[in-house]
Amino acid sequence: MAIKTTKDTSVALGFLSPFMLFFGVFLIFPIFYSFYLSFFGTTSDYSLANLNFVGLDNYRTILKDIQFWWSLFVTFMYAAISIPLGITVSMALALLLDNKLFGKSFFRSAFFLPNVLDMLVVGVIWTLIYAPKFGIVARLWTWATGGGEHFFNVPGILGDPSTALLAVIIAMTLKGAGFGMVLLLAALQNIPGDVYEAADIDGANEWQKFWLITIPLLRPILGFMVITGLIGSLNAFTEIYAMTAGGPQLVVGGETVGSTSVAGYYLFKQFNAGNYGYAAAISYMLLIITLVITGVQQKIAGKKNNDGGKRK
Amino acid sequence: MTPKTIGRTLLFLVLMAIMIFMVFGISGQIIKYGIMVFAALSSGEGFAGSENAASIMSKADNLIASLSVIITALVSFFIVKKYICSIERVRWDFLRRMFLYEVLMAGVILVLFPFFWMLCTAFKPSGQELVLAEGNPFDIIPNSPTLDNFRRVLKIDSESKAMGVIDPVENKKNFGTYFLNSLLVSTTAAFLVTLFSSMAAYVFSKKPLPYKKNIFVFLLATMMIPGMMFMVPQFFMICKMGMFGTKWAMFLPHLASVFGVFMLKQFMDTIPDSLLEAAQIDGASEWQVFRVVIIPLSIPIILTLFLLTFLSNWSNFLWQLIVTDFENPLSITLPVGLALFRGQYVSELGLIMSASCFSIVPVAVLFLFAQRYFIEGMTQGAVKE
Repeated sequence: MAIKTTKDTSVALGFLSPFMLFFGVFLIFPIFYSFYLSFFGTTSDYSLANLNFVGLDNYRTILKDIQFWWSLFVTFMYAAISIPLGITVSMALALLLDNKLFGKSFFRSAFFLPNVLDMLVVGVIWTLIYAPKFGIVARLWTWATGGGEHFFNVPGILGDPSTALLAVIIAMTLKGAGFGMVLLLAALQNIPGDVYEAADIDGANEWQKFWLITIPLLRPILGFMVITGLIGSLNAFTEIYAMTAGGPQLVVGGETVGSTSVAGYYLFKQFNAGNYGYAAAISYMLLIITLVITGVQQKIAGKKNNDGGKRK
Repeated sequence: MTPKTIGRTLLFLVLMAIMIFMVFGISGQIIKYGIMVFAALSSGEGFAGSENAASIMSKADNLIASLSVIITALVSFFIVKKYICSIERVRWDFLRRMFLYEVLMAGVILVLFPFFWMLCTAFKPSGQELVLAEGNPFDIIPNSPTLDNFRRVLKIDSESKAMGVIDPVENKKNFGTYFLNSLLVSTTAAFLVTLFSSMAAYVFSKKPLPYKKNIFVFLLATMMIPGMMFMVPQFFMICKMGMFGTKWAMFLPHLASVFGVFMLKQFMDTIPDSLLEAAQIDGASEWQVFRVVIIPLSIPIILTLFLLTFLSNWSNFLWQLIVTDFENPLSITLPVGLALFRGQYVSELGLIMSASCFSIVPVAVLFLFAQRYFIEGMTQGAVKE
């Protein structure tokens, strides 16, 4: 029997090894390697061999780097606008579809379709839609108002620091709304009908039923959407690259910063400029922030569960 | 006739008018698009070709109008008949549902419009992308469609062919090459990821292994690390391994999919152990048990993982951008090629849009046939929580 167990274990290890090999080499090792790299500076000639050791300098620079803290601020602005907007649109669509409708699966698929399409292409298309003078928005405005100079031509939606981020968010919301819609729709259909019947008997109106029954019962899904939205904001890159390249510029605290330069894009910019060590240090800062966010989320989720236990 | 009835009838007429407008518009656009593609396919290269296509389009004008009128008439007849034949009590509900349909249709138009615009602009002749149809800026389907944009991005137009003799490497920089590269990279990655993940999931689900649960929890914990984090170290590792600019570099770092293992393990947990025991008693080897029992039973979920991995590698822009060697056109993939292309032809909308089609259309078609797998797979992580 003991022999069989050893054999079973070795078979198990055999099945597990290809996955574990790639997991170890490309996901675990890089976490430490990245830390090691973060003590190195810029290369003199962009070659990887000539990185010079700078110790903790990168971390000292980060603390004073206005551009970095600004990019974090933009990231949280991105999250703070896109998450509520995304949830609202998805919820509206899910509530609309949560009726007995002919062709429901058609609508579900049609709203979901943009989710599977390439982010870069979607970004490029939206850039052209927003473009000054020849973009659809500008042309429609010209057509509707009869020409003349207007905001959509100069500087354009993506050319103005106050609207660029919002424009990106609207495009991404239209791309991603179907995903939240499918999640919420599935959850809505899992709510038993008798809960609403009980509320009817108690004399609740539609509004009360929505806020006091539907929303609390959907809380796990909404929590999931908030967390994935936060992680998505920290990882946001392609949409910014495709639509604004971090611009348009504005001046904050004596430093010129990009109004849509989210953390992911700033990281890429530093990387692209050859500041490999600095980029590694930034990614460590981002990792710490993510861990804090998930820690807080776990705590909140844990608290809620305990409350639920008590009530029972 | 009570005031209530009059109000209801008025509301019905308003909703009906909106409905007729929408159905007429949508059916007209779809029919016109079909004829436009036909005209473009039958047209030749260059200005003369687009003149030819334009004549087909102008001849088809009446056909489009009459067909969409017929469709609209049929639909409205059906709705009106249903409304009149319905009993008083359900009429408010009928109106509510009509309104719902109209809002949903407007939503679908809003969400899918960018892609429709892309599909139209790709057929517009160079220099005319911005020309509005007279009097109707909403009519975005080209009236003189051409395939020239597609010929140019594939470098099979006469000009590029002549250039290709002089510089064959430069001529390889076309979207046919990029498409095949992306296809190769994504398919290989998807195949390997599903293989490795299903093997690992089999162990986590069915095999005895010390500290199995702890290892699995550890795997799940690593999913929380943002992907951006890995960019710098993985890039250094790929360079040190001497794989910079190769196709291997495009997917090797993404072969360990924790999400895939999680998804497959959840599914394999539902396969009864007695099936495995029966196979073992029949004398099946470990590999045979895996291949003959586990794989066939988990095919739906394996297919889902395959599609999702294919998709994520198909559009993995950032990573493919940083490991691409631009001197070597044979390693450029679709998203990178598109970014490169957009830098070169900033103002040529038609070219950019037809290039975008190479990335969008195959995925959209794939989605049409396998939407259930896509939707279930992508939403699985949340539902299982």
